Amino acid sequence: MAGADTATLKNPALAGAVPFDTVIYGAPPLAYPVALSQYAIYNTPDPAYVTARINVSAFANLGFATPWPFLNTNVPLNGHVCVPRGRGPFPLAVFAHGNHNPFENSTPGYLYLCQLLASHGIIAATIDVNFLNGNNFGENDGRAIVHLEHLKQFRAWNNTATHPLHGKVDLNRILIVGHSRGGEGVGHASFFNRLPSVGGVTLDGSGPFFLGPYRFGLTAVAAIAPTDRQFTPVSGPTVVPDHYYIIHGSKDSDVSDFQGYHTYERAHVVDLANPTVSDGKFKAMLWVHKANHNQFNSIWASETPVGVAMPRASQEEVAKVHLGALAQAVLLDRAEYLDVLRDHGAAVAWDPAGTEFVSQYQDPARVFVEHNQEAPLAPPPVVSLPVQGTVAADGVVAARQLTALVAGLTTTITLRLAWNALGARLLLSVDPSTLPAERYKTLALRVGQSTEANNAANRDQDFTLEVSSGSHTAAIPASCLHRLLYPDLPPFGPAKIMMQTLRLPIERLVECGVEPTDLRSIALVFDRRATGTLYVGDLQWSN
Amino acid sequence: MQPPAPPKIAAIEVVAAQPTEADSAAIAQLSAETSRSLPQVAYVVKVRLKTKPPVTSMAWALYVNDVLIPKYWEYEDGIYFTVLDPQFFADHKGKRLRFSQNGVDFFDTGMRLAAPPAPAAASKSKAKAAKSSTGKAARLPLQADVLK
Repeated sequence: MAGADTATLKNPALAGAVPFDTVIYGAPPLAYPVALSQYAIYNTPDPAYVTARINVSAFANLGFATPWPFLNTNVPLNGHVCVPRGRGPFPLAVFAHGNHNPFENSTPGYLYLCQLLASHGIIAATIDVNFLNGNNFGENDGRAIVHLEHLKQFRAWNNTATHPLHGKVDLNRILIVGHSRGGEGVGHASFFNRLPSVGGVTLDGSGPFFLGPYRFGLTAVAAIAPTDRQFTPVSGPTVVPDHYYIIHGSKDSDVSDFQGYHTYERAHVVDLANPTVSDGKFKAMLWVHKANHNQFNSIWASETPVGVAMPRASQEEVAKVHLGALAQAVLLDRAEYLDVLRDHGAAVAWDPAGTEFVSQYQDPARVFVEHNQEAPLAPPPVVSLPVQGTVAADGVVAARQLTALVAGLTTTITLRLAWNALGARLLLSVDPSTLPAERYKTLALRVGQSTEANNAANRDQDFTLEVSSGSHTAAIPASCLHRLLYPDLPPFGPAKIMMQTLRLPIERLVECGVEPTDLRSIALVFDRRATGTLYVGDLQWSN
Repeated sequence: MQPPAPPKIAAIEVVAAQPTEADSAAIAQLSAETSRSLPQVAYVVKVRLKTKPPVTSMAWALYVNDVLIPKYWEYEDGIYFTVLDPQFFADHKGKRLRFSQNGVDFFDTGMRLAAPPAPAAASKSKAKAAKSSTGKAARLPLQADVLK
């Protein structure tokens, strides 16, 4: 497992050395009634940080059950921002909460993350989208627009000669983070950011709504326990075009079905017409055993009974480690922190002791040996073009199928492998002249076990990965690369099948005498557990 | 823990109301797209709930048979959505209202979509609430008044 490579890195959850100030921005005056007194703080913003109102009526109503002192035609841009001291320019990270009781202000719930990022030299804000909260549905396009309008506000401040943020915001290094419905919202924001209009509403700053223009240099999009497809554009489910990161807890009892997995699966997929062409973006996923939904927001009360989820402090620490690593990597150019995204094991010394994770990483540089997405949907598995080769199953039932690894509409085909005796194997024989393995650093695939009866409950699955060139073969147990955890059972509903990305460095193969330029076969040999069912995807050479 | 249960509907009511500015823009766009002249009316479909569900990120998507209501909003007694094209009622009135959280598993509410009020009746019954002076839509109540 990884870990040694990051031994010299500092824990990204630890505060940095950059001093910072926390200021409130807002659009006063607003006559918040007593029931909404938590929002009165936005009536006294820092004098330099008074904002305008925006018109979101083309996207969202406010609902009539909460006595907001404004209409959807003039909602405020309220927030808290932690600003590093110094000349900058500093990267920008902006957090958005999700749906919650609107009488409780959800916005400050990410200050613990904003403060961390600011201490490392990142301007970090958490924004007020509470006016879209309540028993509403389908408003996540509105959340996206609000998020983008906050970015626009920062751009305006950056461009205003007299403002304290003048010239301090690096508009080419922006991370947007959303939790829950806000997590769905950042996906839409990433999509809308590149559009001239949405649903007939022009995003060029013109009337009647005066929204946009955007076209920000979004570096990455991070979603914490997001929903998916509560809003669907007319063009179809949103496909996130930027680097995408997602984190979700196994004990989530709100978005209990891990809807964001579908968002993740839609992002940066193989183009079957041009399978070697990449869109140049990565995606990464972190599945956190024992994390729940609400504890990622420091304000929200836990939704699970005591003892079901990990302690709040541990869950916040996980968020700080992993979102901190993401921010270090993509906003501060510390690429070495990408190791944490590639393999959560790189953070084992920083994460709360005993925490179990499943992680996935898809690098933009890759050539697939078997991605499984070929039509028609039917067994048997095949080697994916342009790589030439054959697949042979010996003692293992291999079927390509649309398995619902998590609940909901599944669009990704996964290879199901089931065996009932030691020694079964799936052998991929390839023509080495069609597989430029030497261009890459890693052999990667994602593998996960289910709760099906031939997997022993609460026991890691295992198999051997055999890679051969000519007369040399490397045989590496999967468990030497990562644990293949038994699914952590959710509070209710079916268990998810979470595939873990296994990454085998080519240098390790070379040490075993395998010649990357003459790679002949890759085999999954089921010699470590007598029975089992595994789900496998995206076997590839990658970086 | 138990999975959340779908809300129960107490009553459905459809009220003709004035379109908001955003509604008017949407009506204009819809008219252009369908080459039909749509009335300047927003039909507010009030779905009164026996008990409101807790506010969470997961939502109960509302369907009329298999047609998803893309957006709805909360009001004091439940949720509501607006319909800008009367053809929607011609196509779907009397059909079942259903809730789903995942688009796969559906819960029939036992209620059916009501028909909108006849134009004359709508205007007559709501005329006293109207204060505005211009156009046919101005005789209709404001949505805010309908939802109070």
